[in-house]
Amino acid sequence: MIGMRHAGGMLGVVAGVAVMAAAAVGAEIRLTGAGATFPAPLYKKWVVEFEKAPGGKDVQIDYNSIGSGGGVKAITDKTVAFGASDAPLSKKELAALGGAEKVVLVPSCAGGVVPAYNLPGVKGEIKFTGDVLARVFMGKIGKWNDKAIADLNPGRMLPDMAITPAYRSDGSGTTFVWTNYLATQSEEFKGSVGMGKQVQWPTGQGGKGNEGVAAIVQQTPGALGYVEANFANANKISYGSVKNQAGKFVKATVESISAAGAGAVGHLKGTVLSTDIWNQPGDASYPIAAFTYLIVYKDLNNLKSAEEAKALVAFMDWATTGGQSTAREMDYAPLAPDVQKKVAEALATLTYQGKPVK
Amino acid sequence: MKRFGDLILAVLTRGAAACVVLMLAVLLGVLLLNAAPSVRQFGAKFLVSSQWRPNEVERPVRDAAGKLVFADGEVVTETIPPAFGALPVMYGTAMTSIIALLFAVPLSLGSALFIVRVAPGLRIAGPVSFLVEFLASIPSIAYGIWGLFVLAPFLREYVEPWMARVLGAIPGLGWSVSERIVSGGEVIVKPIPLTGRDLLCGGLILGIMILPIITAVSRDVLRTVPRGQIEGTVALGATWWQSCVGMLKYSRSGLFGAVMLGLARAAGETMAVVMVIGNNNQIVPSPFAPAQTMSSLLANEFAEASTGLHSSALLQVAMVLLVMSLVFNVVARKLVVGKGGRTAASA
Repeated sequence: MIGMRHAGGMLGVVAGVAVMAAAAVGAEIRLTGAGATFPAPLYKKWVVEFEKAPGGKDVQIDYNSIGSGGGVKAITDKTVAFGASDAPLSKKELAALGGAEKVVLVPSCAGGVVPAYNLPGVKGEIKFTGDVLARVFMGKIGKWNDKAIADLNPGRMLPDMAITPAYRSDGSGTTFVWTNYLATQSEEFKGSVGMGKQVQWPTGQGGKGNEGVAAIVQQTPGALGYVEANFANANKISYGSVKNQAGKFVKATVESISAAGAGAVGHLKGTVLSTDIWNQPGDASYPIAAFTYLIVYKDLNNLKSAEEAKALVAFMDWATTGGQSTAREMDYAPLAPDVQKKVAEALATLTYQGKPVK
Repeated sequence: MKRFGDLILAVLTRGAAACVVLMLAVLLGVLLLNAAPSVRQFGAKFLVSSQWRPNEVERPVRDAAGKLVFADGEVVTETIPPAFGALPVMYGTAMTSIIALLFAVPLSLGSALFIVRVAPGLRIAGPVSFLVEFLASIPSIAYGIWGLFVLAPFLREYVEPWMARVLGAIPGLGWSVSERIVSGGEVIVKPIPLTGRDLLCGGLILGIMILPIITAVSRDVLRTVPRGQIEGTVALGATWWQSCVGMLKYSRSGLFGAVMLGLARAAGETMAVVMVIGNNNQIVPSPFAPAQTMSSLLANEFAEASTGLHSSALLQVAMVLLVMSLVFNVVARKLVVGKGGRTAASA
């Protein structure tokens, strides 16, 4: 009942916005994309800036942030020109799209997930390791002054305060990255909680969306939750550094997340350029990072004309090169130059009804 | 011409009535159809299982002695499929509803009695009724925000530490302030961190939200008590108090119906609960434990349900909720309408 009511309202809003937009711009080519919410602010900025970029004149792109799952479904059903997802495609999803040879999937930028906490009176950042975080989220470390945390933070007075783990109660790419990283650090976590967009947490509190987790963390002394790095920065939530594979404690920054992406460039092959970039080698790599992806068909015959295909490819080309500086301004980690090269190669394989678009 | 108008009216009204019934039928049909995979997979176990795990877990196989099993030099692993059970959310719904009723019923009956017996003499029955009903027009999300930013911190700072001390000091009630975590084959018992976002807070918010409906229906039920009945008790020498108790007794089945309507409302409330209940699908028998209700589960998970089975299980929860509300409503209507003729519930 709730869903139906919202769907009705949303249809109305979408129709209204569409009418207004069409009247205002009068664009000749209109494309629609849908999917992940994490990069949505960036994509919405991109589609505006793209109108001034090469090949962007008179092209209007609408992006609906309906969630990664919805984005994959929309491109599978061919109701959009491109889909967007925070998680790489599962084998099943890839098969539903026609297999790896029918699909081009490229990263558009990267993001990090940070351990955010609320410790009144404690200045500076707390250091964590993946193993300690895994044990906190399994309920095995219950106090801030536990020896495991104290050993990582010598010389810092940690309070005798209970830890309230805070997690996402809705299915989310953020949870996917967080659990996958923790699983690389703790066999026990992998075997009991496991990985996924949504898991069964043995203890703690759930909040809906980044803002729900942030509300728990900000309100509850002693809470430790995970949120997206740029969300934490925008809302001035304090978060800690995490020990990376090279043994260095690194805080999530645009640079350290990009570095994690650069470390994984060797794994990017073919036209489905998905790879895990958590727990990457390199002194500067932040360990809890992930790409977010754009998904299109390799042959763009789901579009109405060759002009539309050309516009879409121009957009993706520009977004993954010229648009990367916008990503940086908005606190999303840009693709490292080596990754951009791989993306350009993959985009060059796109065709429209068998003919190369570029 | 007049007959033509009659015909139009007949078609329009019949059509409208049929549409409403059809909508309910379609809703039920769609729910049934989409919940079918989950019903087939879990059957009746769905109602008694406390597992709610949307992801697969791959773990190493251990033999009877707890040692890892190796084959061809590699650790043998087993994959545990996703599992869905509705017991935790049914528990959450039941407990929050009980807390809500404990809070709302005395207040509602008290104010209903006030409106019927005291307020008319003071000429304020109208304004008081209006104010109580005004509570019903506040959107759910507003209650939620108030709960999250005002009630929860207040409970955490002032109410819960005191309650936990009292409960913890009573021998035999120690379980009500601690949680038992089963994690990775290990059992950990520790005090529950007091956060203010828990069963207690969810129940109190629901209690405030169901006040208006219970009050309004109780008021109408009490108004149907025959004047002779009241005057009779007074004539026999009953005190004001005794006469009121007589009134409550006379209309008890109608009042019970009012409470049932409140209960149905409490079970279905969503957004406010999501914000204050802590959203953890667990059964921890403590008022301070975060929990999840059926409706909050749907609001949390439906949009990003990861697999077909997951959304099917969610729809099965929706079905359970729908059937439950239907039963509450039918029982309530029977009690309220059967007793006192026209009331708010039948209107």
